[in-house]
Amino acid sequence: MIRTHDLRKTFRVREKGLFGPRLEKTAVDGLDLLIPPGRVTGLLGLNGAGKTSTIKILATLLRPTSGTVTLDGLDLVEHAREARRRINLIAGGERMVYGKLTGAENLRYFGRLYDVPAPVLRRRTGELLDLVGLGHAADIPVERYSRGMAQRLSIARGLVNDPAYLLLDEPTLGLDAPIARDLRRVVADLATEGRGVLLTSHYLAEVEELCRHVYVIADGRHLAEGSPAELKAATGSHRAVRVTVTNPSPGLTDRITGFVRGIGAEPQLAPTADGGLLVTVHHPEDIAGPLAGAVVGAGGAIGGLEVTEASLEDAILALADGSAGPGTGAGTGPRAAPGPRSGAGAGAGPAAPTSAGTEVAA
Amino acid sequence: MPVAWATLRRTWTMTGRAYPWSYAVGCLLTGILTIGLSYLALHAVGGGTVAADFTARTGGADYLGYIAIGAGAFMFTVRMLLWSSKALITEQRQGTLGALLVAPAGRLPYLLGFTGFALANTVVEVGLLGGFAALLGITLPACQPLAALAGVLALAFAVFALSVVLGALMIVAGEAHISQNTVFLAVSLLCGITFPNSYLPEPARLLAETLPVTSAMDVLRGALSHGAGLADLAPRLLTCLALGAGYLLLGLLVLPGAERRAIERSY
Ligand SMILES: Nc1ncnc2c1ncn2[C@@H]1O[C@H](COP(=O)(O)OP(=O)(O)O)[C@@H](O)[C@H]1O
Ligand SMILES: [Mg+2]
Repeated sequence: MIRTHDLRKTFRVREKGLFGPRLEKTAVDGLDLLIPPGRVTGLLGLNGAGKTSTIKILATLLRPTSGTVTLDGLDLVEHAREARRRINLIAGGERMVYGKLTGAENLRYFGRLYDVPAPVLRRRTGELLDLVGLGHAADIPVERYSRGMAQRLSIARGLVNDPAYLLLDEPTLGLDAPIARDLRRVVADLATEGRGVLLTSHYLAEVEELCRHVYVIADGRHLAEGSPAELKAATGSHRAVRVTVTNPSPGLTDRITGFVRGIGAEPQLAPTADGGLLVTVHHPEDIAGPLAGAVVGAGGAIGGLEVTEASLEDAILALADGSAGPGTGAGTGPRAAPGPRSGAGAGAGPAAPTSAGTEVAA
Repeated sequence: MPVAWATLRRTWTMTGRAYPWSYAVGCLLTGILTIGLSYLALHAVGGGTVAADFTARTGGADYLGYIAIGAGAFMFTVRMLLWSSKALITEQRQGTLGALLVAPAGRLPYLLGFTGFALANTVVEVGLLGGFAALLGITLPACQPLAALAGVLALAFAVFALSVVLGALMIVAGEAHISQNTVFLAVSLLCGITFPNSYLPEPARLLAETLPVTSAMDVLRGALSHGAGLADLAPRLLTCLALGAGYLLLGLLVLPGAERRAIERSY
């Protein structure tokens, strides 16, 4: 278990040039995180939220300004070397492998740095290259790899010491979709094998697919945490379903409005240019099907159906809004649980997320 | 020292792939030019004699022998310093510093491996240079092989110790060019490599004494051109080792902080 307590990191930066005044920039601001073995824990936030800083501290590359990190009870600053044996870091934005060495040579060299015994290392090198699908490229210098191949090798490097904890900083950054999907499968398997994985991402869907527990941070601060489903419930009011009805009538409109109110939302109705009616509903649940069913059931003809997922920006704004109390922020009125709307949906909605926002904002 | 050995081998492999022959030849030409020009200067311009003053200060050693030892030592020092001190900043530029620093391996074996490679490389180059000097008919005035070996090892140690400190400086500054050239200049002017130390004003001589390369050069010259034995050279040898140990310790002490600083700088 990796556990952080009140973790803070402040950078001293020059405002401009070599001799500008020094400013303090707080990148991590009092985070309490728990990364248990056997699951993927997510760290979600916009660019500049403090994800990389946090992960570099956990990787012993940076020292926290204050607060503590323990790894299986071991203090990370005092026992950095012991901790390094049990963790590894994979950063999508950095190369972290030698271009002039082949894939196999890279893994062998890093294995030596981790004191992996030679026979184990020989076997593991082959296994890892196969795992990331580079068996055929084992003896090709990395500078001739494609970007996706180099990144997959980087993943293999991160596994060369058979780490108990794996820190992944945007591992799919800049990868083609199919390669990113393969990587996600590998990551999921790693956790199933019992490793503790911390995954940072600014990509909501990735975190949603992989993580059982997610921390959302903004400006280095804890905003919310919970399972993806819980977080979605908190932010899902941003998901918009738009149905275009081609044959509107007052009676039809009443029945659609009735249905939407029945599921705890308020429809927005707007006439379209060609005489139809555009019905927009914000709801945390996936209501596209039921809504379409209701429209058709009421005798309406559907000219178009569109579902817009909440963007991460929206979600984080929603969470920040929820924690800052009512009456502020985004115009469409998103609310983070424990706001009044979540859980009032279709009844079978997920539990309210454990938003610690109220504590933070206070 | 599996880490040192692995680092030596991987650096060997990488360098072999990175620099074809042209690079080594270019480096060698510098040394050859130095000796060749001195040879020309002495025979074509100076008529085969040097100032009595120079002869007195070098202890009677002949000019060309002095230059040859100096050129060899300078090449040795510069090339080794260049390789070893730039180890970490090269990792940073390649994007592999993070991968190196998250591993538990100590930095000393890593740097030793890197320097071992540099040493092997440099010895070959300086050996070729020596062959060229021999072709010109330049001979070492008097040579004590054992003491000379001690001198070479002392110089290697001195340069290694300096390179650890210099390497830390480089990754903090995020800059290799200015730092490395400053040190090259200082070493070549102060440490008795290009001309005898006694030409220097007193403060500069004192400064030179704080660099382990100076005492290493005394040992090397003593063994190569004055025929001094190990017993005679022991005080200078010990001075070199003590200073070198001091620099090495300092370097290893500041390195972890420098590495974190480097990570912070390169976000
Ligand atoms: N080494 C550094 N020096 C100065 N400021 C930094 C440094 N690293 C990060 N920051 C600042 O701290 C904040 C958090 O950055 P980072 O941890 O990289 O966020 P993320 O990975 O979530 O995008 C940003 O505002 C960034 O500009
Ligand atoms: Mg980042």
